[in-house]
Amino acid sequence: MSAGGPRILVVEDDPHLAAGVIENLRAEGYEVSAAADGEQALASLPGTSCALVVLDVMLPGIDGFAVCRTLREQGNNTPVLFLTARGDPADRVRGLESGGDDYLAKPFHLQELLLRVRAIIRRRDWYHSVSDTAATAVLAFGGNEVDFRAFRARSWNGESQELTEKEAMILKVLAEHGGEIVSREDLLEKVWGYDVFPSTRTVDNFILRLRKRFERDPADPKHFLTVWGVGYRFLKDGGS
Amino acid sequence: MKSTRVFQLTTLALVLVSVVQVGWWLFDQRSYARESVAAARTAYAEQTAAAQALLDAGTAPERVQALLPKILVSGGRAALAPAVDAALANEEAGRQRQYAWEGSFFLVALGLCIAVIARALRAEQRVLEEQDSFLALVSHQFKTPLASLQLSLETLALRTPPPERARVLTDRMLADLARMELMVTQILESARLERGRAHFRPEALQLAAAVSRVVAQLEERARSARVAITSSIDPQLHVMSDPLALDVVVRNVLENALAALAPVGSGSVAISARALGSEVELEVRDSGVGFAAADGARLFEKFTRLHPGGSNYYGTGLGLFIVRRLMELAHGRVSAESEGQGRGARFVLAWPASQGQRP
Repeated sequence: MSAGGPRILVVEDDPHLAAGVIENLRAEGYEVSAAADGEQALASLPGTSCALVVLDVMLPGIDGFAVCRTLREQGNNTPVLFLTARGDPADRVRGLESGGDDYLAKPFHLQELLLRVRAIIRRRDWYHSVSDTAATAVLAFGGNEVDFRAFRARSWNGESQELTEKEAMILKVLAEHGGEIVSREDLLEKVWGYDVFPSTRTVDNFILRLRKRFERDPADPKHFLTVWGVGYRFLKDGGS
Repeated sequence: MKSTRVFQLTTLALVLVSVVQVGWWLFDQRSYARESVAAARTAYAEQTAAAQALLDAGTAPERVQALLPKILVSGGRAALAPAVDAALANEEAGRQRQYAWEGSFFLVALGLCIAVIARALRAEQRVLEEQDSFLALVSHQFKTPLASLQLSLETLALRTPPPERARVLTDRMLADLARMELMVTQILESARLERGRAHFRPEALQLAAAVSRVVAQLEERARSARVAITSSIDPQLHVMSDPLALDVVVRNVLENALAALAPVGSGSVAISARALGSEVELEVRDSGVGFAAADGARLFEKFTRLHPGGSNYYGTGLGLFIVRRLMELAHGRVSAESEGQGRGARFVLAWPASQGQRP
């Protein structure tokens, strides 16, 4: 962490709004840089260690969704908080599908913005703190090997896998509580923060994806076990 | 709007029922005609058989012929007269033809009805969709200054900044409010233009006077933005336009030039005019940010904004759209060109010259 605190990139084409957001984030102790459009954002991100991108959706040129998708395709897992004037559920889903972490509709409350920024950075810090020693950076189970720092894995059949940040975080949460039951709500809160997704079904979908990646028979999981009505349990050594 | 739609749909349903009805009537009439002719033939066949029976029973052929005139009696044999047979065939063919023509006529007429109604329905649907997207865009345009306003207010409330910071925030809020007010005005203007309900009353107007009026309004702003506006227009030049429309068009083009200059920091706007055939051309040249050639066509579309952040200007994306619509109403034209980003731009407006203008 540098002297200015975690770095945040604010991508917003409206100068007033950008100035307001930047000043407030600086007042909270973050180190903030700004970009006025998507191209500028994509050009400024590589090579810097950003803790968060606050990204407006309606940008001149390429829109925010496309910027986020491009980042993810480049293997950049920096968390993204979307700011948008369109707050309907379809748009929310689009934002999250493009790889976003959170979504705030304009006009928003300053306190809520700061709260969400804090929550995203806290989740990221937690993830990094539990993945930064040699012992915690790598997880081996059932012939699979997961590298949490590189968001990469090699599964039991030798296939190499690129993990999304969310997949890696879910796996991390489950592994941290190895053998214990983790509720869907706990997973939601740890990985997304509460009110981003409309339902805990999302968690189920991510578990299905993890099973497909790492279980020999995803229909008969040995590592990612469902505890009916409660949540999930991760068994490193396999079980049923 | 809704009751028209119900009316149209009901009419469409009635027309469709009529199509079925006409189809059935056609089918029924044609088979009835066939059946009638067949019945007549059966009757004639019976008469022929009766005539033959009479002949066979020894009745004199003359007597048989007199009794049954439609039957031809010759050489002890009775047969249907060829003329009668031909008349029957003719009758059948004639009726079939008549029904085919009448039926097709009705079906074509009903088909046209359906096409007209379907077209009206489709047009209405398009209008509804356009209104939807217009509303979506308008509300989006509003939310940004609203968000900025809310953010500034909440910053004031949360942080109680020193007076000079508070001053900056207050100025920002006032600018946001001014931006929203401008938006309301322009949205109302463009909504009126959209429906073609602008009352456009062209008259001969002195171009130089109209331009200098607008320049005077913008002078203060131009000075603080360190922009020099120069204008040289022959006072003889008169154009045919609605006075209000001329004012709006010139203002919007000059506002756009100021916006293009804001990111540059300072610069110039040069206005000139000339008579060109039956038109008068006004040229507005700025040394602002310019635009990529590919964006030239998009400039005059609704909600196109090519001046992104960094500038202190807040466009609504409606200004140049309004210019284009007003120039269309004035039977004039507008175009823009730029040698590229950062290389200034040139807007050309052309109106029909007024008749009484001296060369």
